[in-house]
Amino acid sequence: MAVNYEKLVENLVVPLVVHPEDVEVKKLSEDEDRIVVQVLVHNDDLGRVIGRNGRIANAIRTIAYASASRQHKKITIDIDAF
Amino acid sequence: MAELKRVSFEASTKDEARGVAEERLRIGRRFLRFDFNEKKSMFGFKRHYEVTATVDVDPAEYGQEILERLFRDMEIDAQITREQPSEEELHYNIETDANPVLIGRGGKTLDSIQLYLRNLLNVFVDDRLVVLVDIGGYKAERKRQLEILATKTAKEVAKTGTEARLKPMNAYERRIIHTKLADWRDVFTTSEGEKEERHLVIKPKKR
Repeated sequence: MAVNYEKLVENLVVPLVVHPEDVEVKKLSEDEDRIVVQVLVHNDDLGRVIGRNGRIANAIRTIAYASASRQHKKITIDIDAF
Repeated sequence: MAELKRVSFEASTKDEARGVAEERLRIGRRFLRFDFNEKKSMFGFKRHYEVTATVDVDPAEYGQEILERLFRDMEIDAQITREQPSEEELHYNIETDANPVLIGRGGKTLDSIQLYLRNLLNVFVDDRLVVLVDIGGYKAERKRQLEILATKTAKEVAKTGTEARLKPMNAYERRIIHTKLADWRDVFTTSEGEKEERHLVIKPKKR
């Protein structure tokens, strides 16, 4: 079992945005127990992806975190605009 | 199903129209259907379009696809069934071989899946769609437990005349208990505390 976390995150982010061509998801680092994923979106889409009080961003983080926990890993997701 | 979003306007080119629709609806063109009605100006030189852009997504079906893809990405086998008890209500019930992971501590992961899906699907409709997600009957079971807790605690409060403070819960859970005790004669409920600390207090009614 090897979950592709970039794909998992991308598939959650892309449906939310107006500009899918401007979504970029990159793995910044991965070691034994921690993965860091960076998400960049179009400036106009940032609000939608973050949500009120960061609720959508946190939901995406929680979902990814649950997935990673099955492999005894922790995942950090940075979300920002280009 | 709730009313899908649409917008009508005039534009001089089809490409311009797609951009305007995206901006007005805040929905990507890949989710829209365009109807163009070509208009010639009086002298026949300049033409423009009357445009109607309508959401071309079935929210119930799309929600199911999103969930299926999510579990595929997580490499979790899942069966998803959905119900539409009313025009503006969508329920997804999920059975997997990894229910505890997907529910999370205190239902946190389940709440996140529901919040994500609810936000996503509500982008497409004018009215509010109520989207509920349950995994392995977790919510039904949790509701049953909360109702037992409510009844037991309320009896205690009625007997002793002392108020009882429950553990912090989310709005949905507080509401279950509040509703359960709403028509009790000798106790009433209030919520106290802020955010993560918000909890119910069951109090005796003065007689």
